[in-house]
Amino acid sequence: MLPTERNDFSQSSRARIRKPFHSTVSYARPVSTAGEPGNTLTGVEDRLRRIKSVTDAALAHVDVETLLTELLDPVRELLGVDAATVLLLDVPSQDLVVTVALGMEATVRQGVRVPMGKGFAGRVAAEKQPMIIERVDETNVLYTVLADHGICSLLGVPLLSSGTVIGVLHVGTRCPHRFSEDDVKLLQLAAERIVVATQSRRTEVERAAALVFQRSLLPARLPVVPGLELAAHYVPASSGGVGGDWYDVFTLPSGWLCVVIGDVVGRGLVAADIMGRLRNALRAYALLGGDPAEVLERLDQQVLHFEPETMATVLIAMFEPSFGRLHFSSAGHPPPLLALPGQTAVFLDVPSDHPVGVHGGLRRRATTMTLPPGGLVCFYTDGLVESRDTSLEGGLDELSRSVVAGPVDGLCRKLIAQFVGAEVPGDDVAVLAIRRQDSGEVGPLDLVLPALPWSLRDIRLAVRRWLSAVGASPRAIADLLVAIGEACANAIEHAYGPGSGNVMVHLELQLPDVLATIRDTGHWRPPRQEDGGRGTLFMRDCSDQLRIDHGPTGTNVVIRHRLSQAACR
Amino acid sequence: MTSARVDSSADGGSTHIWVSGEIDLANAPAVEEQIRTAISSHPTSVALDLTELTYMDSAGMRILYRLASRLHALRIVLELIVPLDSPTRRLIELSGFESIAALRPIRS
Repeated sequence: MLPTERNDFSQSSRARIRKPFHSTVSYARPVSTAGEPGNTLTGVEDRLRRIKSVTDAALAHVDVETLLTELLDPVRELLGVDAATVLLLDVPSQDLVVTVALGMEATVRQGVRVPMGKGFAGRVAAEKQPMIIERVDETNVLYTVLADHGICSLLGVPLLSSGTVIGVLHVGTRCPHRFSEDDVKLLQLAAERIVVATQSRRTEVERAAALVFQRSLLPARLPVVPGLELAAHYVPASSGGVGGDWYDVFTLPSGWLCVVIGDVVGRGLVAADIMGRLRNALRAYALLGGDPAEVLERLDQQVLHFEPETMATVLIAMFEPSFGRLHFSSAGHPPPLLALPGQTAVFLDVPSDHPVGVHGGLRRRATTMTLPPGGLVCFYTDGLVESRDTSLEGGLDELSRSVVAGPVDGLCRKLIAQFVGAEVPGDDVAVLAIRRQDSGEVGPLDLVLPALPWSLRDIRLAVRRWLSAVGASPRAIADLLVAIGEACANAIEHAYGPGSGNVMVHLELQLPDVLATIRDTGHWRPPRQEDGGRGTLFMRDCSDQLRIDHGPTGTNVVIRHRLSQAACR
Repeated sequence: MTSARVDSSADGGSTHIWVSGEIDLANAPAVEEQIRTAISSHPTSVALDLTELTYMDSAGMRILYRLASRLHALRIVLELIVPLDSPTRRLIELSGFESIAALRPIRS
């Protein structure tokens, strides 16, 4: 049966809800059990010792639900009630979720949720006050759940942690019952115990989960990009604080490389969860094209609409396919550093616009800078420079002196060792370094792709990028793209027939030439189309030297082209 | 997946077609079909603008040849707009296409 919603509290039902100890509500009735030793206020303390005992080490390794069950059982017994329920606040939805319900176990399985401010538990939480209902009916509780379980009288207290509501504890009886002042006191003390126990347990569990979650969201391996060296390091924060720091590196279909570093304001699983959504939204928006400022503006819309409580600093850098130029936009993120060989690093003059999630920001700006071969760009989150005892300015100064154009992995390790040291940082730290290799440092390119038409675009992207990295002239790049493209198209169309196989591309420098080898392991078939010979013609015309070998183990095409001189014809 | 975009506009008897992006084996059939659709109104002349085409190989050239012979049979004038010094222009020149259709750097 579906619970019936009762959002309206009529005047008559309101009168039956009492707030104990509230000056305007009369609260004068004899406490039925007064005078019995176990129920005096001193007796309350005695009774509580029994609750306290269950918070001991025996429960150190149980989950929150088991822990709560162990804590609630004596409460139910001491108060002589039929049901005892703990609802914990789910922060993102602001719903109270039934977590443990002794005497009403089904409500846990049904996943009963009560919105803040609605129903009995919702009002206890919203007003942060104990509350009593002497006779439950469908007008003073949100769902018929309590009535369905035959609950007649209710006493509820908020679970407060440093003044913040984290949930509600309520007890109920099937027979009409008048809860005493002592009962309220006892339940409040039990609530305190429950808060302490669940908070520490939840923090522990949440921290472990957030760490796993965050690790799964950060790239396990950075993409291998010929012509660039990339490295990143991430150190999670201490004291229950897993933050929302992230970095991301991905290529776009246009051949551009996108680098993102960001920091979601907040901590724990919630921040890590938001970070995951921002990261994915940003990837999708980058795929739509546009400069980094446009991508950030789309992210602004997403956050303002779907994540109104969120604020994040984000920096996007987009590398042109040649890597010679970078386009930046910053949403309040600290500026990256540029280090050129043999020179002191400088902070890049990236105009800092408002963080993502802030209303009424001005139009975002994008800036462009050139990255000469051998140059290094270093991205970081503020945890790196703020984790020290020194001032922010001092930290930034030290950082600019420490960043040098050299091996990126070593640089990241050095920065972490120097700025974080052996201590666990108070805030997350992420560092990402990218160095554009000198044309002489670029190694050969090896590609193995399925012999399918849609591999052609990926081959062109990789070849174009590699040729830019080794300093090929535009004419050489255009020629080689056609010559290599035709050789690959031949392999794709003719080598394997209806079967499947791979096409292999190898590029290397043999100065002053580029040598390209395209290989398949299929059988050569003469072109069938009337104009099928045109591909071979293009291959020949777009290379300085061409050799095609057909053998029993496949076809080998070798193309030679001057690196910086126009080909021929 | 290789992507290209085909846009067209008809002005009296002449149809202007813009092809941008890249053409290779992967998308040639789709591009050819889109060009065919653009000329289905039986214009008297067709201007095919390849200014924004960043890559084309023999699969793209095959489209141009088939289009040219079809239009020739229908007595429809074909004009190709390809900037000087573009990689596409070089391939078109290499394949001797100039003998069957006018090649202009900008729209005449």
